[in-house]
Amino acid sequence: MDTLSSSLKDALKKLAGKAVVDRAAVDELVKNLQRALISADVNVKLVMDLSKAIRTRSLDEELPKNTNVREHVLRIVYQELVRLVYATADLKLEPQVILMAGLQGSGKTTTTAKIARYFQKKGMKVGVICADTFRPGAYGQLSTLCAKINVPCFGDPKATDARKIVREGLVAIKDLEVIIVDTQGRHALEPDLIQEIIDLNAITKATHRWLVIDAALGQQASEQARRFHEAIGIDGVIITKMDGTAKGGGALSAVAETKSGIVFIGAGETIENLERFDANGFISRLLGMGDLQALYEKVQEAQMAEEVDMEAMMKGHFTLRDMYKQLEALNKMGPLKQIMSMLPMGNMQLPEGVYDVTSTKMVRYRILMDSMTPKELDDPGLINSSRMQRIARGAGGTPEEVRELLKYYKMMHKTLKGLRGAGGGGKFNMQRLMKRFSGMQ
Amino acid sequence: MFSGLRERLQAARNRLAGSIGAAAEAASPAPAEQTPLSPPATPQKNPTLAEKVKILVIDRELIVSEKNVAEALDELEMTLLESDVALPVADAIIADIRAGLVGKHRKIGESVDALVMRALKTALLNVLGKGLDLPAYIRSHDRPVKILFTGVNGTGKTTTVAKIGAYLKNQGFSVVIGAGDTYRAGAIEQIGVHAERLGIKIIEHQTGADPSAVLFDTVQYAVSHKIDVVLADTAGRFHTKANLMSQLDKIRRVMKPDLIIYVDEAVAGNDAVVRAAEFDRTVGADAIVLTKADMDSRGGAAISIAHTIGKPLLFLGTGQAYEDIMPFEPGAVVEELLGSGFS
Repeated sequence: MDTLSSSLKDALKKLAGKAVVDRAAVDELVKNLQRALISADVNVKLVMDLSKAIRTRSLDEELPKNTNVREHVLRIVYQELVRLVYATADLKLEPQVILMAGLQGSGKTTTTAKIARYFQKKGMKVGVICADTFRPGAYGQLSTLCAKINVPCFGDPKATDARKIVREGLVAIKDLEVIIVDTQGRHALEPDLIQEIIDLNAITKATHRWLVIDAALGQQASEQARRFHEAIGIDGVIITKMDGTAKGGGALSAVAETKSGIVFIGAGETIENLERFDANGFISRLLGMGDLQALYEKVQEAQMAEEVDMEAMMKGHFTLRDMYKQLEALNKMGPLKQIMSMLPMGNMQLPEGVYDVTSTKMVRYRILMDSMTPKELDDPGLINSSRMQRIARGAGGTPEEVRELLKYYKMMHKTLKGLRGAGGGGKFNMQRLMKRFSGMQ
Repeated sequence: MFSGLRERLQAARNRLAGSIGAAAEAASPAPAEQTPLSPPATPQKNPTLAEKVKILVIDRELIVSEKNVAEALDELEMTLLESDVALPVADAIIADIRAGLVGKHRKIGESVDALVMRALKTALLNVLGKGLDLPAYIRSHDRPVKILFTGVNGTGKTTTVAKIGAYLKNQGFSVVIGAGDTYRAGAIEQIGVHAERLGIKIIEHQTGADPSAVLFDTVQYAVSHKIDVVLADTAGRFHTKANLMSQLDKIRRVMKPDLIIYVDEAVAGNDAVVRAAEFDRTVGADAIVLTKADMDSRGGAAISIAHTIGKPLLFLGTGQAYEDIMPFEPGAVVEELLGSGFS
């Protein structure tokens, strides 16, 4: 799995240097993503639909300003994945009946006790009914677990009729607020048992019908979930055994199939090991990439930041204000000379002075500009010697410094003009360049 | 059994045969050895004149090129993935088949189908290995034969112990069960009820007791009562829990099992490979039992696990009753998967 997530990261890295969304690079990313998701047991058809959506959106959607290609694609990947698990299963602290359903050995009984504990800790009065009349020791298991947390458990180890037990149980513990009905494990190809759970659903008039899915369940998850959903209308999924190495992709298939959300995640053998579902954590685990959410947030931030008005700048409206934004942006990117050396400017020679601005000077320049009025920023021509004095005093510097700043501004202005003139593709190139800059980290 | 996988494999086989044979079909009459059961079912496109000429030019012999089979193999890989074969395993199988097909010279008269089938069959047999005949194993070893069951939670170890107990009892062996799951609530009760129903002696301690001690006692009982087989149940544990794995290691040291049987479920996905490898590495595994095979018509987990740890599949669990267990014979399974048309 580590190699998978690293190949996914490599594919993302390849996108990082790109100025425009590159079809081949996106294809490679999508292919790696497919492999990662299939390895995590997500339904193959679901993966194919998902990757189609990601490919189309990555190639068709316009690159948002201040976002590099990598972040753009990553954001789409993230959004599409979140869309899959987005539906949050609602969980209210009010009187309700919960019917547990699932395959044999998926962990229904253990989870029943864990959910009882969850509601108990929230201050609800909880009771449990054991409707598993088939597996030897089922009642013993549930009653032992319930005894540990002082939750009443209704059942009879000798009973053979689940319907009868549930009817009796509902009467016996009707005073309690939350009633959880644990059922026998069953699978979709057992018609008698499917009929049984349909009946149990009718008898209990369950508020919730939760499907318990083993994190290791593979491609079969879709089919099983669909059948359970057809039978009783699943409105929530619980993933169990997340403390192993399984990724839980099967649960994702189940969610897609039942159009419901993931309620809880079980990860551990003790009764407290039950968590509410967290989409970010789940997706990160699915892809084996821990930093997905952080990256996503960064993209959001970048999009909110003020945008450099490239259009106006290219038309020659380059003001001190633009330079301020530029300096701010450049500041994050390292030495100016290094950045400039990456510009494909052909034969055009840049004045040596452009490179002479060190990062400390850039900070000074910004402080000086902070001391200017908006009018001065928009029209540097206004700045005469008395204004210079005022600016210098406000920034704690000398008029010499202000003069130097203005000289630098003029040089930049000239350079940009020159760039615009250099060949027909000048403007286009510059725009690509700026985007490329913002992509460097 | 595994009918889903069978259908898919047969479709894949037809596609492969189709893509290889597409050019040659019209030029050669249907191959003589082809049985009625396995015609290349995909309707062939009418070859163009250029294609016919090409066939004539290459002297009635066809070399299978990578391009011929690329698409069909891609589809086959998808088929395997959809059947829960883990990704690395599917990759390995496809590589195997490609190696078996590409560059092979094929006489016009030879059945395309046979060529494809041979590649598929070899690949699958390579993966599934040889089965293991448990009764024969027991007969050829010193009694008592001690069998330890391991696996993660909820795969069906306890039920499998009961089923194998019933199976061996029917084969005429005497059996004792050790209730080694002293952790899970209700586990001792569960195996106790099974043992009582089957009329098999069970050795049990209290919940929370040391499983090594329970199983040691079980072996002692078997020795002093001249019992043929000891079946040792254990608590389910995840391979990520170091303490529980070392507990299992202690059990192994104390009871010295002849066979360690790793139990997993047929519906498990890619994780089946990870955990099987980890169990094999830490405590070892001599054979595999796959449970809940009735839930799943795909059988990919069988292929994944067998390929990963290279150990024979012993039994398939196919239902909730004691008789719902069937010995696994790779040859028969492959034969069934690929259809009986292969000679």
